Amino acid sequence: MSAKADPELSMLCEMAHQFANGELTDTCQDNDRFPIAPLFGGVLEKAREVGFFDLTVPEELEGGGMDMVALCLALQTLCRYDASIGGVVFTDALAKEVLVASADPAALTGVLSREGDALESLIAFPSYRDPSEGTSLTAIAVDGGSHRLSGDIESVVLAGVASTAVLPAVIEGRDGYSFFTVSLNGGGVTTGSPVQGLGLRACPAADLSLNGAQAAIVGKAGEGARYFDAAAARMGAAAAAMALGIMKGSFEEALEYARQRRQGGREIINWSEVRRILADMAIKTRVAEMLVFEAGYSVEEKEEGWEQSSRAASLAVGQMACELTDDGIQVLGGNGYMEDYGQEKRFRDARQVQSLLGLVPRRKLEYVRRVVEGESEY
Amino acid sequence: MRAGGNPALLEREPRFEDITCSLASVPKLPRAVIKETRDVIAIARAFNDRVVKPRALELDRRKREEPDYLPWDFVEEANRAGFYSMFIPKLFGGHGINMPALSYLLEELSSGCSAMSNLVGVHYLGIATLCGSFNLKLMNRLMRDVAEGERTGKPCLISLAITEPGAGTDVEEMDLISRAKVTCHAKKVAGGYRVNGTKIFISNGHLSTWHMVIGYSDLERPEVNTVLMAVKTGDEGFSFGRQEHKMGQKGCPASELIFEDCFVPEENVAIDDEQAKNFKRPIKETNMQLIDYVLSVSRAGVGAFGTGVARGAYEEALSFASETEVGGTLLINQEWAQCMLSEMYKNVALARLSYIESNYANGLHGMFKLLQWKPVFYLQKYMPAKMVDALLAPFCEMKIATTLFRKFYFDMQKTNESQCTSGWASLSKFAATDAGVKNCQMAVEMMGQAGLRHDCRAEKHLRDSKLLQIYEGTNQLNRINLFKNLIGRSVPGARAFEEGEGTS
Repeated sequence: MSAKADPELSMLCEMAHQFANGELTDTCQDNDRFPIAPLFGGVLEKAREVGFFDLTVPEELEGGGMDMVALCLALQTLCRYDASIGGVVFTDALAKEVLVASADPAALTGVLSREGDALESLIAFPSYRDPSEGTSLTAIAVDGGSHRLSGDIESVVLAGVASTAVLPAVIEGRDGYSFFTVSLNGGGVTTGSPVQGLGLRACPAADLSLNGAQAAIVGKAGEGARYFDAAAARMGAAAAAMALGIMKGSFEEALEYARQRRQGGREIINWSEVRRILADMAIKTRVAEMLVFEAGYSVEEKEEGWEQSSRAASLAVGQMACELTDDGIQVLGGNGYMEDYGQEKRFRDARQVQSLLGLVPRRKLEYVRRVVEGESEY
Repeated sequence: MRAGGNPALLEREPRFEDITCSLASVPKLPRAVIKETRDVIAIARAFNDRVVKPRALELDRRKREEPDYLPWDFVEEANRAGFYSMFIPKLFGGHGINMPALSYLLEELSSGCSAMSNLVGVHYLGIATLCGSFNLKLMNRLMRDVAEGERTGKPCLISLAITEPGAGTDVEEMDLISRAKVTCHAKKVAGGYRVNGTKIFISNGHLSTWHMVIGYSDLERPEVNTVLMAVKTGDEGFSFGRQEHKMGQKGCPASELIFEDCFVPEENVAIDDEQAKNFKRPIKETNMQLIDYVLSVSRAGVGAFGTGVARGAYEEALSFASETEVGGTLLINQEWAQCMLSEMYKNVALARLSYIESNYANGLHGMFKLLQWKPVFYLQKYMPAKMVDALLAPFCEMKIATTLFRKFYFDMQKTNESQCTSGWASLSKFAATDAGVKNCQMAVEMMGQAGLRHDCRAEKHLRDSKLLQIYEGTNQLNRINLFKNLIGRSVPGARAFEEGEGTS
């Protein structure tokens, strides 16, 4: 099924284009200067009004009630213009997917408060790390069923702007880790300065230092890995969609530039080596598009092996985006390296997006482990 | 063993001379080159520990916040360390360390910060361009300015201004420039040239005292009307424009240079078609030869930058893997990580070999040839500087000196010799810089979340490395140059830079 054939998805796509054209095209270079320049809070507020946040949250919880294909479509369209806003939408959605996976209605309704502005209503989450890689936060149970969290955690995306975070921590005396919701405005939480990162600079992250911060457990104790795996399996397609959006933006700018720029007495598009590079870019983009939406539908239809499809799409398209954006700079030569053009930002953003959901080599090993142990077909 | 006596067999591609530069060079090299190189590496490592590594992140961050900031403090440190005159021959007032050792210095500095390495290395691109003219009088004057700058503590750097807004790749290849739209006009006037035009992406522009500017006395036929001039900061009609806002290598300014009726006196003209009219080769070939002399040195230098940044990324990944547990096990003890580290080590080693071989080619056939000839090497090494100044330097002021040097370098160089140096330089440039980018990508990937953070350095290496695939000719141009020099010459009908419209 094509997204274009679905009227609802077509409308979403058109809306995302209009939003991006109006809100992102002219400002994305300035927005990328965060934290030197202010965060694009106004744009995020409008994004919330349009409904890009909570797109996949069930309607009964006042969400958009749309499916993963819709989220993929929205993300790839936004990221074509500016991947940072995609990072914000992605992180918020990932945190909520963890809550949904926990089947803990109290946890989800508790954070879906409609109070406050767009930034405060977002949920912070360590999107670049699979907590199974290791977590240094510890939790101690206290009276009344709540917990106290202590320790340091790095690069929590949206920390510093969101009012709530979903964080992994190990409960003393128990195996595995658990997720907790933590108020970032509460006592015992110290938020560091915005982390200076490679890409997605307007999707801020900060280090957190917790000292007995009050926290509410999400779902069951010790089940964090199961929730994360379930959420990450669904969100793999969404990460791939972000990478696809970046690829489209990079290819379009390279093509346009190659038509204009002259070398050796003719437009560079008329040199066959440039065309070969552009061909590679175009083919990768087309293949990525097929992968993303196949994975998105697979997730939504719960087809056999959908988890692996989603994971494979995120790994493959993430890599393709890194390669393609590298070429995207190269076609523009020196200009491609300058901030005046969009290619260098896409190069950085692609690498950042590839790192969503955890360490890439480890995700590959986990992918094949599932095959080896018979959990899934390859 | 009889086949060895058949020269035709050795003329087959790859030609014996092209694949044995190191073999042919080593017996000819003065032994003191080894000690000099050891000393240079030790000095560079100490400088890295003291200056480069502690300041690299701060300089990068500051340039992002203050795009017009100029890193004079670093340049002054490098000047005090003697880096700007270390490789200038004693004949011209420098320390006279062998030129190939510069590549090792650049690798070392680049492993800490390639922007800082560029702040040193690009100065030698200016020097190489000046030397490519073999105008000994001008060389002597400008390089002694550099040496004086070290003595007085006021750095005197030299830049190369060649790239134009409408011509980047074109200006490095005579077959392309003949069809390019260049705009930097050097009009012949009484007593010199009057220059109008703009140069962009000039590394170290704002920091340099002298600028080796390439203009064209006829914009319609630049390939036979090239003028190489020295323009000094402060000269009337010359000004700086903006500094570019780059993705990486932020610490090294990329400047816009603006010339508005800037008069360049005859004594500052390094070479033009009038000076080159009596050379053996036609003027277009001479211009290409000059560019090849310069780029054969500078592209090996960029190969060293690429090697350095590849090493820097590898070292960050190694350090991270040695200290970080993933899934309860130290990364360094996970086989996949060990294989990635070995791959990165290999990339560094092969990149290094490529610039070393390129420098050997330059010693046999290129710019270093005379300096590495043992009598000249030892004469300038052991003759006291005062004696050099008193006995040898005045020779540079004589017209015959320039004539002899040009005869030696331009007329006596064989075509296959310049093919060897140019081909190897291009090979090193794109092989080592591709390796640099590859290692940075691998480091970021291996370090995951930490690899994305500025304070963990790998992401800075990645941003820095990408520029290396672009400047000194894009890696695509360098591939074609390799084809032109070492492949296409033996294939009947093969032409580089002359693709027909129909092929695309």
